[in-house]
Amino acid sequence: MKKKFLPVFVFAKIAIRRAFRDKTALFFIVLFPLIFLFVFGGIFAHDNGTSFKVALINQSDSQFAKQFVDQAKANKLLKIDAKSTTLDQAKEKMSRGQMDAAIILPSDFGTVKNGQYPSGNAKVYYTNNSQQAGQALTSILQSEFQSINKQFVKVETPFTASSEQLTTKGLTQFDYVFAGLLGFSIVGLGIFGPVNVFPELKKQGVLRRLHTTPIRVWQYFLANVGSQSIVGLFSIAVQFVVAITVFHLHVAGNYAELTVFIILSITTILGIGLAVGGWAKNEQQAAPLANLIVFPMLFLSGTFFPRFLMPEWLQKVSAFLPLTPVIDGIRLITTEGKHLWQIGPQVGLLAIWLVIIYAIAFQVFRWE
Amino acid sequence: MAEPILKVKKLTKKYGDKTVVKGISFEVKKGEIFGILGPNGAGKTTTLEMIETVREIDGGSATVDGIDVAKHPQKVKYIIGVQPQSPAFMDKVKLTEQLEQMASTYGSRVNTKELLKDVGLEDKASSYVEQLSGGQKQRFSIVASLVHQPKIFFMDEPTTGLDPQARRNLWELVEHVRDQGTTVILTTHYMEEAEMLCDRVAIMDDGNIVAIDTPKNLVKKLLAKGFTKKQHVEQANLEDVFIDLTGKELKD
Repeated sequence: MKKKFLPVFVFAKIAIRRAFRDKTALFFIVLFPLIFLFVFGGIFAHDNGTSFKVALINQSDSQFAKQFVDQAKANKLLKIDAKSTTLDQAKEKMSRGQMDAAIILPSDFGTVKNGQYPSGNAKVYYTNNSQQAGQALTSILQSEFQSINKQFVKVETPFTASSEQLTTKGLTQFDYVFAGLLGFSIVGLGIFGPVNVFPELKKQGVLRRLHTTPIRVWQYFLANVGSQSIVGLFSIAVQFVVAITVFHLHVAGNYAELTVFIILSITTILGIGLAVGGWAKNEQQAAPLANLIVFPMLFLSGTFFPRFLMPEWLQKVSAFLPLTPVIDGIRLITTEGKHLWQIGPQVGLLAIWLVIIYAIAFQVFRWE
Repeated sequence: MAEPILKVKKLTKKYGDKTVVKGISFEVKKGEIFGILGPNGAGKTTTLEMIETVREIDGGSATVDGIDVAKHPQKVKYIIGVQPQSPAFMDKVKLTEQLEQMASTYGSRVNTKELLKDVGLEDKASSYVEQLSGGQKQRFSIVASLVHQPKIFFMDEPTTGLDPQARRNLWELVEHVRDQGTTVILTTHYMEEAEMLCDRVAIMDDGNIVAIDTPKNLVKKLLAKGFTKKQHVEQANLEDVFIDLTGKELKD
């Protein structure tokens, strides 16, 4: 029994050492996922909640208008684009979706007309690309003006509505995106790893040489699972360190459970790589098949954008892809602090895929 | 006469409707160095691959040390060693690690340093295969195929691409392996290699064995048929000149 696992341990040990000797492999293990982390982290890290990108065009010289502009600049809901100073410039940006709306303070805005208090009408322009943002912005300005109006005119308002934000766990968008990024790096490691390596090993005859020895396919696969799990955990640990220190990732879950879940995820996804790489006679066969499987899965499983943005029917279908429970499970453990027994559907679906994928991988494996 | 360690009977291989090995039969005795000669495409490599358990046998049988290859391939794997045509090692893996890996497939651990010393590669223990010269690679490939002390050792064109020094060194190594009690079966394109090294040779052509005997007897039979070659007796040839000028020692 011990002898049966000797090649598994020896092959795994040497494969891990080899991964850390190979600069190209190290790049894909460590730096490549970090590049994505920094790109997505840069986009989502500070974007906590909603805000509107607007042009604020002030055509008035009144004191009131100046104060209004300063206040607007301090408002967190508004991101004011300082470069757009005319309506035409703003229109162009709105047409490209780079801006939500333009607020124009006309030349008479804030001037005292009736000798009592300043008045004026701020105009919000928006396109049909940004109807929601335009309407929301208008009502924000309305309520803003209402509180200003109160200072000038005493009016009793019988009904009012007020809102208050409930911050329970303080999940940022980054916390959400991070699980997708981990899913992406598991795919890179688990699928593109063997898909790139196996045809090369077949070309060099390395696998053919192994085939003349008593090593069994399960021993070779298990060695791959072991080495890729260790290498993958290392890669993911680096990503966690960067995410926590640089992007203030909130980790609510338990690291031991996360490790177990990630090993299960790597094992399952690696099976796809072993099946494709093990089946393919050469790179010309391996690469297209891998792309055919990987790219739809990446997009449909919520790697780069959340699945709840998809149409209902697509959500239902994509829920069953092998990568979906990986990403959902990692997110549920990491950000929501769920325990393994609380994410039964994810663990169960992964286990089913594990059996299916390895059944195929063993069937189609070729040593040369 | 020693008993046969390999018995091949009517061995056949078909690719589609093309038969590349056409029911060949031969026996190899324990402790022999047995050569399979023949032009490219004669079926030498396919024959070896069937006996080595990596290619399915379509007809006939091969028996290694009494074990049927088609019925018990896993058992046969433990008693054969195979040296492929190209060295076929992963890059960025140290020589000692390569040997450790090969040994582990047989469920055993070996003294890797000792093995490397046998083939004069002890200084290269921490090198990678891609850093070795052609001759060193072949020597390493041999030692890697012998980690489990097999009963039969198969070598596919072991000296192709080597310089004369490395080739002579390899011949000595093959004889040394045989002296340790391992039967050697090799394919080659070089007649002089077969003549110097092999106890017996089989000549294959177009999927058939056309002759099988000791090199001396084969020459005798040819002469007996009245064959004459343009007589041109020289005491030395160009290779002798080359070895005389550049020395017998290995250059790498």
